[in-house]
Amino acid sequence: MTLNSEVAQSAHLQEADLRGYVIHATKEVFATMVMMEVEDSAPLQEPINKFHCSITGMVGLAGTYTGILSIHCPKHFAMAVTSNMLGMDVDEVGEDVNDALGEIANMLGGYVKQVLSKGGLDISLSIPTVISGDEYTINSFTDSDCVLIPFTFGDETFMVGLKLSKES
Amino acid sequence: MANVLIVDDSSTMRKIISRSLRQAGLAVDDIFEAGDGIEGLNALAGNKVDLILSDINMPNMDGLEFIKAVRANGNAVPIVMITTEGGEDILKEAMSSGASDSIKKPFTPDQLNEKLGGLL
Repeated sequence: MTLNSEVAQSAHLQEADLRGYVIHATKEVFATMVMMEVEDSAPLQEPINKFHCSITGMVGLAGTYTGILSIHCPKHFAMAVTSNMLGMDVDEVGEDVNDALGEIANMLGGYVKQVLSKGGLDISLSIPTVISGDEYTINSFTDSDCVLIPFTFGDETFMVGLKLSKES
Repeated sequence: MANVLIVDDSSTMRKIISRSLRQAGLAVDDIFEAGDGIEGLNALAGNKVDLILSDINMPNMDGLEFIKAVRANGNAVPIVMITTEGGEDILKEAMSSGASDSIKKPFTPDQLNEKLGGLL
């Protein structure tokens, strides 16, 4: 899995640069809004598109660059994340958890937009979309032009993915 | 004590902002919430509001349209954007539409205090 070569050339970014931005953004969002200090791991070499007992928050980018920023969490970790964000116990995957994961995706998408956009008007962020279920497939991560970075918090693991392409 | 209107499509973010206002020790009385610009205008019509904190990227009526509508109604209440949108051009547009300032998400209670202390 690699950064799309047209994106790299146009944005004057190497894959390591973009990966670094995503890692920095994820750590800052979790430290500031979730009160969790998370650690990054080496990016996955093979795409993952099937998820089990998980919840996925996604935000789309459209304009000069198009793509999807996503965060994938096991359901029980997503509940812990939401509990920390809201400062209250959360024991089911419902509106609060969906909203929290969508908002994290939104903040991460905002970072990516800021890196890629010249002034903010050439790229639009979509309203976040959230998917959850016992077993589901996301086909956007089946090709090679994406970066998928695992993060850990204690024994928990979650992933942040970014798929980008350049509009011709 | 001031009344604050929070306009954001994320209920999680509205709760975080609300909690952060209290944690920052700002002189806040009532906090009203709205999920988009249309709900924001309705909240303004029915309540005394001293400060608006608004997202930009929202469904139905986004933050930029909301500011313009508030100003078109002749309301001069301070509006601070709290947004993931950090682009210079989009923030310039917000300021030229009538926003007073902006705060980038994610934020800390200290950052809220620094930006809002002079407005409350």
